[in-house]
Amino acid sequence: MGTKKNDILQGTLVLLILKTLAGQKRMHGYAITAHIHGVSDQRLRVEEGSLYPALHRMEQAGWVRAEWGTTEKNREARFYSLTPLGRKQLAEEEESWVRLTSGVGKVLGYA
Amino acid sequence: MRKWLGRLRNAFRPGRLDRNLERELRFHVTERTEELQDMGMSAEAAARLARQQFGNYTAHVERTRDMDMAEGLDAMLRNVRLSWRALAKSPAFSITVVLTLALGIGANSAVFSAINSVLLQPLPFPNSDRIVSVAQIQAKTPQPNIAPTRLADWNRMNHTFQAISGYYTQDDSELSGELPEKLTHAFVAPRFLQVWGIAPQLGRDFKPEEEHYGGPDAVLISDGYWRRRFGASPGAIGKTLRLGQLSYTIIGVMPASMAFVQRNVDLWSVSAPDFPFARSRDLTWFLGIGRMKAAVTLAQARADLATVQADLGRQFPKPDAEIRAGIEPLKEQTVGGVRESLWVVFGSVTLLLLIACTNIAALLLSRAAGRRHEIAVRFSLGASRASVAAQFLTEVFLLALAGAGVGLGLAAAAARVFSMLAKNLPRVDEIGLDWRIVVYSLICAVAATLACGLVPAIIGTRRSLAGSLASAGRSQVSGRRPAQFVLVGVQVALAVTLLAGAGLLLRSFQALGRVAGGFDPGHVLTLRISASWGETGNLKTARQTVRRILEAVAVVPGVESSAATFQLPGVPGTFPVELKVAEGRAESEPKLIAESRSGSAGLFATMRIPLLAGEMCPNESNTPEMMVNRSFANTYFGGAGVIGKHLGQPDNLYFPVALVRGIVGDARERGLDHEPVPTIYYCGLIMQPGLYFLARTHGNPMALGESVRHKLHEIEPARSVYNISPLTEHLSDAFAENRLRTVLLTFFALTAISLASVGLYGTLSYLVNVRQREVGLRLALGALRAQIVRQFLAQGMRVAVLGCVAGLGLAAAFTKVLAGMLFGVSPWDAITMTAAIALVIAVSIAASLLPAVRAARVEPMQVLREE
Repeated sequence: MGTKKNDILQGTLVLLILKTLAGQKRMHGYAITAHIHGVSDQRLRVEEGSLYPALHRMEQAGWVRAEWGTTEKNREARFYSLTPLGRKQLAEEEESWVRLTSGVGKVLGYA
Repeated sequence: MRKWLGRLRNAFRPGRLDRNLERELRFHVTERTEELQDMGMSAEAAARLARQQFGNYTAHVERTRDMDMAEGLDAMLRNVRLSWRALAKSPAFSITVVLTLALGIGANSAVFSAINSVLLQPLPFPNSDRIVSVAQIQAKTPQPNIAPTRLADWNRMNHTFQAISGYYTQDDSELSGELPEKLTHAFVAPRFLQVWGIAPQLGRDFKPEEEHYGGPDAVLISDGYWRRRFGASPGAIGKTLRLGQLSYTIIGVMPASMAFVQRNVDLWSVSAPDFPFARSRDLTWFLGIGRMKAAVTLAQARADLATVQADLGRQFPKPDAEIRAGIEPLKEQTVGGVRESLWVVFGSVTLLLLIACTNIAALLLSRAAGRRHEIAVRFSLGASRASVAAQFLTEVFLLALAGAGVGLGLAAAAARVFSMLAKNLPRVDEIGLDWRIVVYSLICAVAATLACGLVPAIIGTRRSLAGSLASAGRSQVSGRRPAQFVLVGVQVALAVTLLAGAGLLLRSFQALGRVAGGFDPGHVLTLRISASWGETGNLKTARQTVRRILEAVAVVPGVESSAATFQLPGVPGTFPVELKVAEGRAESEPKLIAESRSGSAGLFATMRIPLLAGEMCPNESNTPEMMVNRSFANTYFGGAGVIGKHLGQPDNLYFPVALVRGIVGDARERGLDHEPVPTIYYCGLIMQPGLYFLARTHGNPMALGESVRHKLHEIEPARSVYNISPLTEHLSDAFAENRLRTVLLTFFALTAISLASVGLYGTLSYLVNVRQREVGLRLALGALRAQIVRQFLAQGMRVAVLGCVAGLGLAAAFTKVLAGMLFGVSPWDAITMTAAIALVIAVSIAASLLPAVRAARVEPMQVLREE
């Protein structure tokens, strides 16, 4: 980790998880961290301490569904998949993210 | 809902949750370790690093688990916390609501506790639903008593009963003490305890040899007598009691629950079925009880006994062919009479709770409007409407719980009120608090929460009404508040309903007090003297005993006259008989049906029932004679023609054909609430259990109680004298149930009208506050203060009048239910209705006037400056 700013901004973790799950049928927690890590060119690292509470909160909110299954290596893992409600949530969060970043971008550009 | 259950399950079974979580997190660590190994690390180093990177494992487990539980429970706890804070901020409001609900729920739970104990609970015996009362039904006599041999036949020949038994009581004097003590002594047929399904709490049941004529005289004593006389000492067993000529050995103590069929029985002993007198199929004395076998229905038992009695009818055509067996559930027989009254009271008290809820709903609505700002802030911070409404309901629920708690205290105290106001209510000693009442109160609290909270929660959280932060309430001219006024109108309507009901009962009660009974109950002392059925064997002696007692009472200074009777005039009771005229009577004439009474010669003088024609009962007579009342003479004989006729009851052994001596005035013998009916009075009485002795006194009758008792002890030392009380007390006790429901309903109605007026006052006051600015503006523009008063008053009155109209509709339905309990007023009594409406309108005017006047006092400049 070091001094590199790879902490995930509070509130964006949910968006990242939702987006990650949107492209897959189902994923376990480890695969989600790996995916985010890989796709972001190693820039973003999801803390396990945040990932699992977030996943469980999302499950309670009804955005993701969890079930036990086995990996290719025949290990037991808990797989998460997106629900229709989660898909809606993703659309909303994406939109507000774009609004936020473009706003922040403009402010930065202006300054 | 499923989600919610899942959370609850998680909260209660954290073990399972932890295991699943650990599995999930361990998988993560395993995968990470493997990846690190793939990158070339040693197994141990990879495992250590993976662990290290994962951080504090346990902390993760806990945080993640919290997420699973917290959402729901946390929201609930947060709501409770928030609500508590909100309520603590406005203590006056909270206390008002709690007290209102305490009154509503408390009164409701109290009445429910009576319904629960009296009507709903089974009698306190094992499988008590199988216990029935068994009666002998015979067209000629209203007495349900059964001949001992017939009772034994029924018990032997039936297939549906475990056992059939019976009992009768008399008042005995126990003579081993200094003064004779009156005891109520029950004589029971064999199998008595078997029917109840109980055993003595101490000692034993009767042995077979004690159930035979000539066997040892054994007695079971009541729990009450055991404590009173023997200080609950186990040594009481084996002691002897002296009753009249006989000594009885105490063999056991009944359990305290043995208050059936008759309360206050002190002793039980066996009436042997092989007693010579008991052989006659005509002499009847037992009141029957029976225990049906398991899974036998009432209809089966009835059919079975009908078959048995039909067999007996063939075997003994006279008299069994004319006799039928009647079976009634014992509980029904015990409490059936008060069912209607109790449900009416319960209905009224439920209306009261409804009013309380409506009242609170209106209060809450006003409060919700006052909290628009707070609600708007919460909305803008992202709260959903559901969560705001949930918090609202949580607040109300907290209040309702507090109210139910206080209410339970009220209900607990109510048991005493019941036994005070209605000591004759069957099973009144059983009324008390149990878990059912607590559960019922909780249900009331939840129902009240929904009833008071739902409307305000829905209306109060409308976004439009909650408004935006920008336009905070003050500057708006407030719109109408239809919901609040509908709620106030509902309260008024319900109050009118209760007032009308209470008014009718009060008027009936008054009418009953004013009714001229045809006799004068004032200045009459009544008392009873112990006697046994055995004495009735010698008619001559028994008749002399009565005469001796009456003469002794009459010479006590202060006593004007004395008399004896079976049935106190004016106390409800009916003994109809059919009479035949010895001189003959045309077949076409109506049947001679009359109430029958027996009294000593002095009865008419003592009760001040006037002689209208003929002569009075003679003091002594060797031939049977009777008096008839005016109704009887007029209805059946067109007047004085009845004098000199001989009337008899064919087939009744006890009453011989008697000569009609004279006609007396009509008296309300069947009860003060019944018109006089044709009545006959047999002259002369024999000493027997159940007689009342009467003495007309010059002054306060109770002042003579002791001197009469002394005099009687002198001449009859072996008899106890008891139940010394004025006749007026018997009359008022006879209508105790009537009094109970009248008092309760009046109390509820007054509470209802107070609540409704508070509701009206509160709603109008709130309206005045909200519209101060508008009023100020209008005053500034030249409106007259009188106009302002009139406007607000009119608004209040409109609600009140509409409420009254609706209330009259409801009252029509309610009073229809009451119709059977009324006396001397019609269910649509104009005076009562007018009075109820007048009271409601007057109270409404008072409740509206205060806020209206306050509105008109607004200082225009001050209000406008505040803007």
